[in-house]
Amino acid sequence: MEIDCKEARVLTHVFLDKDIDQLSNQRLQQHLVVCEACRNHLVELQTVVAFVESASHVHAPSDFTARVMAQLPAVPKRKTFGNFLRKHPFLTAAAVFFFLMTGNLFTSWFDDNTLQVTSTNMDQLKIDRDRNMVVVPAGTTLTGDLIVKNGSVEVEGEVNGNVVAIDGSVFLASTAQVAGNIESVEEILDWVWYEFKNMGNYLLPSAP
Amino acid sequence: MEYVERRLVERARQDDREAFAELVEMYKDKIFQLAFRMVGNRQEAEDIAQETFLRVFANLQSYDESYRFSTWIYRIATNLCIDRGRKKKPQFSLDEEQGGELEGLDWYSRLPSNDKTPEEKVVVQELQETVQAALNQLNPKYRSIMVLRYIEDLSLQEISDALQLPVTTIKTRIHRGREALRKKLKL
Repeated sequence: MEIDCKEARVLTHVFLDKDIDQLSNQRLQQHLVVCEACRNHLVELQTVVAFVESASHVHAPSDFTARVMAQLPAVPKRKTFGNFLRKHPFLTAAAVFFFLMTGNLFTSWFDDNTLQVTSTNMDQLKIDRDRNMVVVPAGTTLTGDLIVKNGSVEVEGEVNGNVVAIDGSVFLASTAQVAGNIESVEEILDWVWYEFKNMGNYLLPSAP
Repeated sequence: MEYVERRLVERARQDDREAFAELVEMYKDKIFQLAFRMVGNRQEAEDIAQETFLRVFANLQSYDESYRFSTWIYRIATNLCIDRGRKKKPQFSLDEEQGGELEGLDWYSRLPSNDKTPEEKVVVQELQETVQAALNQLNPKYRSIMVLRYIEDLSLQEISDALQLPVTTIKTRIHRGREALRKKLKL
């Protein structure tokens, strides 16, 4: 099982690459014990490796990156929205916050669904909470306009002015006498907002 | 590390300059060092390193992600170094500016001088110059592999991937490179 110097030199390199198998390693070691020349050869090669590894690490100049970047072709004008958002995280957060806040504000504004009555003769009116209705009782006479928001109006008496129902209807009894106009306004904006809100809720489950 | 690098490459591919600048920062020293050890002087090494990154940028779209990014960039840099060497045969003369850490010095400076620098410093510097001089004398195909293996500390497999040569070829060249350096250094 003796190996000659030629074989030993080959195995020495395999040994240095650290992928020698156990049997070959044994043979190499046996040879190295008896052969001084091969022993010296191994030491010299190990010194070479240590020598090259000792080469001091050099560093690129400090302005290297800047100089490379300056040589790149010009940035195309096309700037993606995504890039903008990434580069301005604070602005993005502020915009989202503003959007949600506005939404919230508008929602509460329009969510105000309580019955509102404007008239100069409040004491003569009857308010029917169950039917969400303002009643002008028979035999009474109102002077000035009657404006009702978020409810209907039933007129049995006399009104010397306009009768307006916003988001409601105006019902006239046979005894009713209205001097001015009778109007029923469905607030279009409110309705649009309602639809919009529904869409928003669908897209953003966390939105109010 | 791997993940961060992958993300950066992805962003750089979408022409994100900041991401590309980060990649340059990550690799500039490695590539500069490889080039420096291959060509032996700072100015040329810097040119090659810059050219490497410009090529990386220009070819980002064709980068094959099944390889590591480092492998790819080492391949580009090594090829540039070897091409540069082919165009310009190195000639040595005592008057020529000496490649190495001390730009502006010619080879006379390597002759024994009366400088009063601390002795250790001289020894270290001489050792450095000897390593570089020995590397310079190697055939570039051995030099590149010795530099990648022992200075850049790449594994045999990584070198094989970078140079697109079988591992057995890399091994043979390392063996020959070691033998050649052993003779040059006359240890």
